[in-house]
Amino acid sequence: MVTITRWLDVEVGTGDVGLNTLPANLALLDLQNDNEFKLVVGDLGRGDEGPKLKVFKGAMQTADMLLPDLPLAIAGFYANEVVPRSTPLIAVAFSSCVYIYRNMKPFFKYYLPSIELSTLEMDVWNQLADPNNHSTEALTIISETLKTIPDKILSMQSRNFLSLTPDEQLEYLEQKSETPTWKPPEIVCLTTLKLSSVERYSASCLVVGTEDGDVIVLDPQTLTQLSQAKLSSVKKTPYQMVATGLYNVDYRITVATREKSVCILKRDWTEGRLLFSTQDHIIAIEVVTSDNSIMVICTDNTMSCYTRKGKKMWCVTLEHRPVAMTTVPVMHLGVTLIGVALASGHVHLYEGKARVDTIFVRDVVSVMKFGRLGQEEHVLIIVSGSGNLMLKILKRTADFNSHSAGVEMSPSVAAGQKPWLIPKKSKLFLEQSMRERENALSMHETFQFELNKLRLLTAKTLLDAHAKSENSVGAGAMELLRLTAEVEGLGPVFRITLMVENTSSDKAVIGLAILFHVHTANYKVTKPYIKIPLLSPGGKLKFPTKIEEVFEDNINPDVFFRPVTGEGGERSLVKILLLKEERRTPVLAAIVQMPPTDPLMLPFDKLQAAGGFQEGTEWDVGGK
Amino acid sequence: MGLLDKLSAWLGGGRAELTVLVLGLDNSGKSTMLNALRPPELRAQHVMPTVSHQQDRFQSGGVSFSAWDVSGAPRHRALWERHYRAAHAVIFVVDAADHLRLVVAREELELMLAHPDMFGRRAPLLVFANKSDAPHALAPMLVAAALGLEKISDRPWHVCASSALSGAGLADGVAWLAAQLRDAHVPKRN
Repeated sequence: MVTITRWLDVEVGTGDVGLNTLPANLALLDLQNDNEFKLVVGDLGRGDEGPKLKVFKGAMQTADMLLPDLPLAIAGFYANEVVPRSTPLIAVAFSSCVYIYRNMKPFFKYYLPSIELSTLEMDVWNQLADPNNHSTEALTIISETLKTIPDKILSMQSRNFLSLTPDEQLEYLEQKSETPTWKPPEIVCLTTLKLSSVERYSASCLVVGTEDGDVIVLDPQTLTQLSQAKLSSVKKTPYQMVATGLYNVDYRITVATREKSVCILKRDWTEGRLLFSTQDHIIAIEVVTSDNSIMVICTDNTMSCYTRKGKKMWCVTLEHRPVAMTTVPVMHLGVTLIGVALASGHVHLYEGKARVDTIFVRDVVSVMKFGRLGQEEHVLIIVSGSGNLMLKILKRTADFNSHSAGVEMSPSVAAGQKPWLIPKKSKLFLEQSMRERENALSMHETFQFELNKLRLLTAKTLLDAHAKSENSVGAGAMELLRLTAEVEGLGPVFRITLMVENTSSDKAVIGLAILFHVHTANYKVTKPYIKIPLLSPGGKLKFPTKIEEVFEDNINPDVFFRPVTGEGGERSLVKILLLKEERRTPVLAAIVQMPPTDPLMLPFDKLQAAGGFQEGTEWDVGGK
Repeated sequence: MGLLDKLSAWLGGGRAELTVLVLGLDNSGKSTMLNALRPPELRAQHVMPTVSHQQDRFQSGGVSFSAWDVSGAPRHRALWERHYRAAHAVIFVVDAADHLRLVVAREELELMLAHPDMFGRRAPLLVFANKSDAPHALAPMLVAAALGLEKISDRPWHVCASSALSGAGLADGVAWLAAQLRDAHVPKRN
């Protein structure tokens, strides 16, 4: 089968782009405020090349800028909503601070608030500072207490200290004058959250997740802390955050953690809650904005969907290890697809758990993002493992009906790990089951009786239809013929398009004719008898015929009260017969119910002849 | 009386007006191009993105054209096909500096040429590689290659670099179109 692709490949220049980046290091921004969206990439650099911030216009790199450190994440946002629009700011997160760039120039630095050491650790350091303890024996004892503190809350300094040999430790303590009381926080992820409007160009807050499990929201204008919350009561390290909603109204920050769990943080919460835990490590999460359901890909080769409340809805086993995920919102089709890139070099698009498209990219995807680039709304941006940039544009004519190109149902979908939905036993249910047990025999008899009555009625109707030749499907040798009719127009002249189709694959049919069977007082048909030429196998012929509704000279004002969209009653039935030479009974029959003529299209002269308007005597609106 | 006979009758009457359809993606410069073809006193200062369509008239080489400028926004592109039947020629405007969307322009052009109302007709196709003065703009031959014009064999086509803002290159292209249409329609009169 020839599969028609839904994507247009953009010719990317032969020059080696050599990108080495992370999913969080990609942003699509209208950098020059000219409605031409640029791709901004925080490049980690390769070999002796340092980290850089690169700007791409289409597939062409237009600017780059050296960065002071490895970028952890970048995000673009607007600081305010002034008119005319100001240029967007780019936030780049480094180890413990966020640099804000405006017009590709450093503009502001934000340092995270430092964290106090735990009392236990501080105690240890106070003891270490005491010169009396500066002996190898004392040090080993104190180091033991330091080792009992869980690794996660231990500061970098303590960890380094523990890794030293006792002699080095002594030397270190003698050189060191003050005891540490705080440690610098480490940023792990960065995202944006719209402040008060969902518009594309509205101001948004920066949301920063730290190694210690804090989530900090920054004011877009002043870049000061608006709120801070712990991720969870147990220490968890965020890994990827997705913010939905509006800061000033209501928002949800969905956070994937390194501890195989997903937490949620809402407005006015000082501490997040665990939403659900996964079986294996999370590779990426995405939140579908329409219903806040959460998609998770895990290292056990599964993609799962959870409701906003954290209930597992379904789970699909993927053929290969997933490496990246992105949402693919296609607004004009009203769907949000989920794109999953696999280690095999395929990108699968899912609508719910049904796979609707597969793209083969010939290379392992490293980062994937879908959004507006240049002036094109639907661009899939793929950075491959070897550093190439691939751009794919969704065709305007693409649709994602599951029957169309390139889809085969994966067997794992049918297997389904969804638990059975068993309702609780209600009192009503118990009573019903009791009744069923007691009267099983009579119930069965009644059912069988009714079933037989239904079968009899069906058979009678069929026989009746056959006798009156009202069957719309042929019988016997003529079974393969189809007759359909379509009515167009507002009246009084309608057009009936008859379609005669021969569905046989090898037999042609000859000698057919169409006959219209109407009451001449009601309708006038221009060609009541049409001879059909030879109909080839698989052939289809259309016969448009004009049919006019006939009104009496004294038009009845009742016609005004015929519902326009409804049917015209008994008189509006038109019977169309398909005849075959040398057969007495029609092959097929179709009954068309003609729509009533639009009251505005009624022949006006006849209305006046009726004279119902002037006198108004025969008008009895309620009397019908 | 066929369409061509009708046309030649109009041409004979001296009131020849041929319908030309101006197509292209959004922001490729269709309206700006038509604006540049107007007499200087009728030109608009600012050209806004076209919604639905607008009609314009211009003359070249003894042929007067009635140009249908249709919106190129993605959601309006489905409406292009309504004009195909009435068009005697097509002007396809491409933003030569927008490398990213050349594939989209190619796709739209192929869809247009394959449409039943367009297929098999000898309606000439004029392609403007617009914004040729912009940095990184592609040369007209490269635009022709990117659009796959060499595969078109059933109709005359011509590609022409232009700059709708300054008006450069427009007259040449339109003159070609006028010559083509004269060749196609005038001999019928005799």
